Amino acid sequence: MRKCYKCGQKATVYLPQHRIAFCKEHYIEWYLKRVEETIKEFRMFGKGDRVLVAVSGGKDSLSLWDALYRLGYDADGFYINLGIGEYSKRSQLACEKFANQRGLVLHVFELEKAVASVPALKELENRPACSFCGQLKRYYTNKFAKERGYKVVATGHNLDDETAVLLSNVLSWQMDYLSRQSPVLSEGEGFVRRVKPLVKFSEKENALYAFLAKIEYVEEECPFAEGASSIEHKKLLSLLEEKSPGTKLRFYMDFLRRMRPMLKAEQVALRPCSLCGEPTTGEVCSVCRLKERVAKASLSSSPSS
Amino acid sequence: MKVRVFYKGSLKELEFEKEKVRVSDLLMAMGLSPEYAFVVRGEDILPEGELIKDGEELRVINAISGG
Ligand SMILES: [Zn+2]
Ligand SMILES: [Zn+2]
Repeated sequence: MRKCYKCGQKATVYLPQHRIAFCKEHYIEWYLKRVEETIKEFRMFGKGDRVLVAVSGGKDSLSLWDALYRLGYDADGFYINLGIGEYSKRSQLACEKFANQRGLVLHVFELEKAVASVPALKELENRPACSFCGQLKRYYTNKFAKERGYKVVATGHNLDDETAVLLSNVLSWQMDYLSRQSPVLSEGEGFVRRVKPLVKFSEKENALYAFLAKIEYVEEECPFAEGASSIEHKKLLSLLEEKSPGTKLRFYMDFLRRMRPMLKAEQVALRPCSLCGEPTTGEVCSVCRLKERVAKASLSSSPSS
Repeated sequence: MKVRVFYKGSLKELEFEKEKVRVSDLLMAMGLSPEYAFVVRGEDILPEGELIKDGEELRVINAISGG
């Protein structure tokens, strides 16, 4: 039987990559401390800054919001309803319940009203849903944060998300993506600062926290994410991790320490979109172009008079 | 022996030939790794070496997600 590193009681959680075991209480304590250390290590934000947490109803983003709340940060939630049937209903409910139980502010944004639902967009677009969905989420989260005076947008990306992306970027030597892969993206040119305070936690560590902190999250996977290549990369990395605990954390942290400083981000000139004013490289931003395609499609499908 | 497993919103029954079944055997039978999944009995997270009781109901949580 393993014993808690802190109190010597029976441990419920063992973390092979840290070679440490904890009881419930001390796991929560360890987790919160590590979140705070990560925020400080990468200078993400301070106690007085207004933070907007992008929440999906899943374990990562709700664990992040819970941790920020417990640590005394000024953090409100932002939920984008993607219009994906029961999945979106359940996720929104989970976020609302979470916020109500803690007396926190949750902003709800409906993609269907602003553009179209993800299933409707999937009919129009040839790309994978995760591609345009991610783009829309970034756009509206950034826009909302700016309009409401939030200094930072925080997302629940974890170590598995980051290493899966890193692996895929390395496999195809996407130098430009690699140069921009970071736990902190600075503000400027129409962008609010974006941070990922959970980059040092594996998905399992977040799921353990969510379970032990009694967070009611949606376990169900987004139906459009099924078969995503990131899951394959995650499983591959987990095989390495099992054989040699600590591999993922080393892969990611050493990339940030040793490799990233050698990469120079491509300097792209940004200017305000002529339609919405958000930063873009072209004349019209990709979200406005998407909206134009939606308008055209609904025009051609409606009966002519 | 049999064990009932609550996994991703549905309940399924698993049967094992041997009598001594551990948490790690259960995960393996479900094609999951302890690297990203864990087993829960009531309010407790079970260590990998824990023996499973015949006929009991457990919850399995898989932390891997797409996106
Ligand atoms: Zn303890
Ligand atoms: Zn625009």
